[in-house]
Amino acid sequence: MSIIFSKELVELFAKKDTVKVLATTDAKGMPHVVVKESLQLNESNQLIYFELLESSQTNKNMVHSIWFNRPVAVALIGTGGESYQIKGKPVKSIVSGLLFRDYYVKIREQLGDVDLAAVWVIEPVEVIDQRFNIRSREEEIRHPYFKHLDRLAK
Amino acid sequence: MMSIVPKPKATELSFEEVAAKYPQFPRLLLLKTDLQRRGVYYTKQALSKVDPVIHQLGGTHIFGTRDGILTQRPEALILRDGTSVITSPTPLEQNPYIVDFRDGRLVVMDGGVELEEVEYWTKPDYYNLTTSSGIPMSHVASARPQRIYLMPSRYCHFWTDNQGCLFCDIVNNLKQQKSELNLPPRLKPQDVAETIREALKEPGRFTAICLTSGSDFHGAEDFDAEVDYYIEILKAVGENFATPKFPSQLIATAFTEKQLERIYRETGLLSYTPDIEVLNERLFEWICPGKARWVGYQEWKRRMVRAVDIFGRGRVNTCIVAGVELAKPYGFNDEDAALQAVLAEAEDLASQGVSTVYTVWVPRPGSYLRGQKNASLEYYVRLALGLQELRQKYQLSIDHDDYRRCGNHPDSDLARI
Repeated sequence: MSIIFSKELVELFAKKDTVKVLATTDAKGMPHVVVKESLQLNESNQLIYFELLESSQTNKNMVHSIWFNRPVAVALIGTGGESYQIKGKPVKSIVSGLLFRDYYVKIREQLGDVDLAAVWVIEPVEVIDQRFNIRSREEEIRHPYFKHLDRLAK
Repeated sequence: MMSIVPKPKATELSFEEVAAKYPQFPRLLLLKTDLQRRGVYYTKQALSKVDPVIHQLGGTHIFGTRDGILTQRPEALILRDGTSVITSPTPLEQNPYIVDFRDGRLVVMDGGVELEEVEYWTKPDYYNLTTSSGIPMSHVASARPQRIYLMPSRYCHFWTDNQGCLFCDIVNNLKQQKSELNLPPRLKPQDVAETIREALKEPGRFTAICLTSGSDFHGAEDFDAEVDYYIEILKAVGENFATPKFPSQLIATAFTEKQLERIYRETGLLSYTPDIEVLNERLFEWICPGKARWVGYQEWKRRMVRAVDIFGRGRVNTCIVAGVELAKPYGFNDEDAALQAVLAEAEDLASQGVSTVYTVWVPRPGSYLRGQKNASLEYYVRLALGLQELRQKYQLSIDHDDYRRCGNHPDSDLARI
């Protein structure tokens, strides 16, 4: 069953000043984290981003992920303190065809003389609200032992 | 909807068994390899989804199909990871994979089981145009998803003396293409220049140009005629580029250093692929009698190594028709011995800067070796892993012949990661 994104998260994706980060791993498990401004949602509620460099480590890691069913993670940080993590799996690499051409034209209109190696499609499998007040409340309920006693003292 | 699929011989591992034995080999590439090995059969439902306005239909290949029919089928397939699958329509009795349309999706099936969603290739815009001399541009250059493929001359002069490569059907296919499609056997530079000009107008479509032809040993020095013609065509291609060099590959005879220096100096060519076809001297002499007579196995290898000095490391490679080294009656009797011999020769070349890629041998009906069986899926997996390991060991790039610039070599697809 596909993930339904909240209105806040959809808006966060659309905002220009949202920081969008993509984390991948290579074949040996080495992590690689980069900012991907082009991360966005498509009409099927999947994440997409434009990979401009064919030989980049991220692109290689994405190929590795789609080949071996390995997850990737995306972090979104908004200016209003919003913070989300989305775990997902690459399901498609669009490298040619009519859709690719549309994206190619669009990205060059936006960024000038750049190339487009692939448009990666990531199927989201989990969304985590990473705001501290939310996360700390969740953890305190799950792990009541995980705190220093002086915080509970009279 | 489809016939029952015969199981492989007991000694041959099934797809799932190979997948389990080689977990480091991507399943999508395993499927590609097996699609090439066994071929495909398009159901009526799948063919009904081919839109000639959008999709690329077959017809302009240098080689023929397994069922002998040239046109009105999709050119090829693309997998969801962007992998191209260049494969041939194959009669049902030969146990091909089935391409079907089910639940609104185009899928590859085997034994009634759905394996993967696939797409047909998209037709480039220039396929709708004709040159000023009236030739359909689709007959001047064929397209892969990201490559323009020129076949300037479709005649191989080795066939004149009955010395064509035994796996090859180029001249028989040419005869069929001439009669059924009115395909020009030899391109004029002006038609090439016009076609490339139109092809480059399509944004984001192509990343490389590849040329290949049959061998032509005529000329003051052997093969000068072939060299002169390539230079003429490459200059016509180059008219359309603002840079002196452009991403390009020449798949041709092994030329002398003098000939290669001319090509490199006078054209925009960036890489060179003289296909040795089979990496074994004894079998080369049997399977490639024309190449053996006019160049010879050791000289072919020597010329490839010398070409590295001209084109640079990682820009010279050779292709083998994988599995033909097992052809009867003179080929290897077992796959282990064949693999060991092929990889040893490939390592000898790699250590001198020449990379090896493979295509899956398709025993085409128009070739001398028709009716034979290609190698097991496991053989192709082991060969792909072995060739890619050699590239890594000797730090050889394969950018010019990779999944995107070519798309016909399971081993160089592995270079994506």
